[in-house]
Amino acid sequence: MRENGSRYGGLERTLYQVCGFVLLLALWQIAGKSGIGGKTLPALTDVLRVYGVSWRRALLLRAAVATTTSAGLGLLLGATLGCITAITAKRIPALAPGLDRLAVVVNALPAIALGPVLIITAGRQATPALLAAIPVFFLIYVAGSSGLSSADGRLEQYFKASGASWWKRFVYLDSISALPALLNGMKLAVTTAMIGAVVGEWFGAPTGLGIVILNTMQNFQIPLMWAAVIVVAGISLTGYGVLGIVERAVQRRMA
Amino acid sequence: MSTIELKGVSKEFRISRDKRVMALSAMDLSIREGEFVALLGPSGCGKSTILHLVAGLDEPSTGAVFVDGLPPAQLQAKQQLGIAFQEHALLPWRTVEGNLELPFQIAGREPDRKQIADLIELVGLKGFETARPSQLSGGMRQRVSIARALCLSPKLLLLDEPFGALDAVTRRFMNLELQRIWQEKQITTILVTHTVEEAIFLADRVIRELRVPFARPRSVETMRREEFHHLVDDLTLCLEP
Repeated sequence: MRENGSRYGGLERTLYQVCGFVLLLALWQIAGKSGIGGKTLPALTDVLRVYGVSWRRALLLRAAVATTTSAGLGLLLGATLGCITAITAKRIPALAPGLDRLAVVVNALPAIALGPVLIITAGRQATPALLAAIPVFFLIYVAGSSGLSSADGRLEQYFKASGASWWKRFVYLDSISALPALLNGMKLAVTTAMIGAVVGEWFGAPTGLGIVILNTMQNFQIPLMWAAVIVVAGISLTGYGVLGIVERAVQRRMA
Repeated sequence: MSTIELKGVSKEFRISRDKRVMALSAMDLSIREGEFVALLGPSGCGKSTILHLVAGLDEPSTGAVFVDGLPPAQLQAKQQLGIAFQEHALLPWRTVEGNLELPFQIAGREPDRKQIADLIELVGLKGFETARPSQLSGGMRQRVSIARALCLSPKLLLLDEPFGALDAVTRRFMNLELQRIWQEKQITTILVTHTVEEAIFLADRVIRELRVPFARPRSVETMRREEFHHLVDDLTLCLEP
């Protein structure tokens, strides 16, 4: 149970956040209407009007489903590989330094350079998910590795004195102790997966928000472009928020 | 039940490249079956080291430890070791019941519901089966910890300052409780403590570990130090009839 004082503090903070957000939107509106930002910065109301047009709404929805699917698949793939690699490094400590280096190298590969290679080897359809998976893999590997060695020292001693096998210790102690760090990593991974998917689409995916952004930029459909960007940000933030809630629930359960 | 033998055991810890600390030197100790032995001494004198060696959590630098004539690792592997620490070391995400299921799960056995219920009753936590450690008081957590140590009917019970973190009143109460529990089971027990009362109240035999912490050569200055007087007081108390 939190105290009344801190709950009030939380409310106050939320209020500040809402005020800041509203202020930002107001500034955008003013800048757009006055034309300070040039023709490429439309007013907020012009962007919102895009969502009112039914064929554009349908276009954005289709694109959003495609991009979210790619990002989701990338998230799943990257997280699975990241977890497996982190568990391997934990199980066979001799491999850990090598796997660390491998993860760093994989993460250092620039998506822009890797995109064309993936288009040729894996195809246009799979590239967005794969480009999303790479940064997710790195994040989850790092989060998972630190999570897997975060178990309480006394509990480790208890498990050892109880003659627990590696596997039993992993199932009953290490894997569960790793959850908070892992969820924290997942929270960050959601946003990087979205970025990876959008960038991946730029290399010529059949559909997706990245394609919408690219086409509208080239055809100078500025409000539609901004509308697509807002959808990307909205999906990222929603994922971030949902995982934040899950993370907090887990932390409360583990306290 | 089991007998414990320490033969010429010493344990050195390296704290930096060229600095070593001797926690135990040439220690001989023999504990009979069913005996309750208390290891008494100020903190940092190697009491817990003895416990860790017997539990197989550490290897001696020289000498050997035997439990029933076997190295401790074998007792460990057979899950015949009950251990409770100063910090309760319970799984925070499990209930009292769930924590008592853990030893069974580690041993790969089906949790014995009846035994778990009996143990919860034995340590006086009936009604708290579904509470999680964060919802319990410090004394209650230590009860769970002791109940967990008793789960697989161990041959040897190791208690590492189990009540060290409790206040004096709770500690006295827990001492009475531990005596009641021990009388029902009479398992060979080693208790590490820095409380004289606790040691004398619970044990059949109290072993006093005292390492003199002053470097040589010692001078008159040494005799004026506060630490010196504390040690003198400590030992004098032991000699009083």
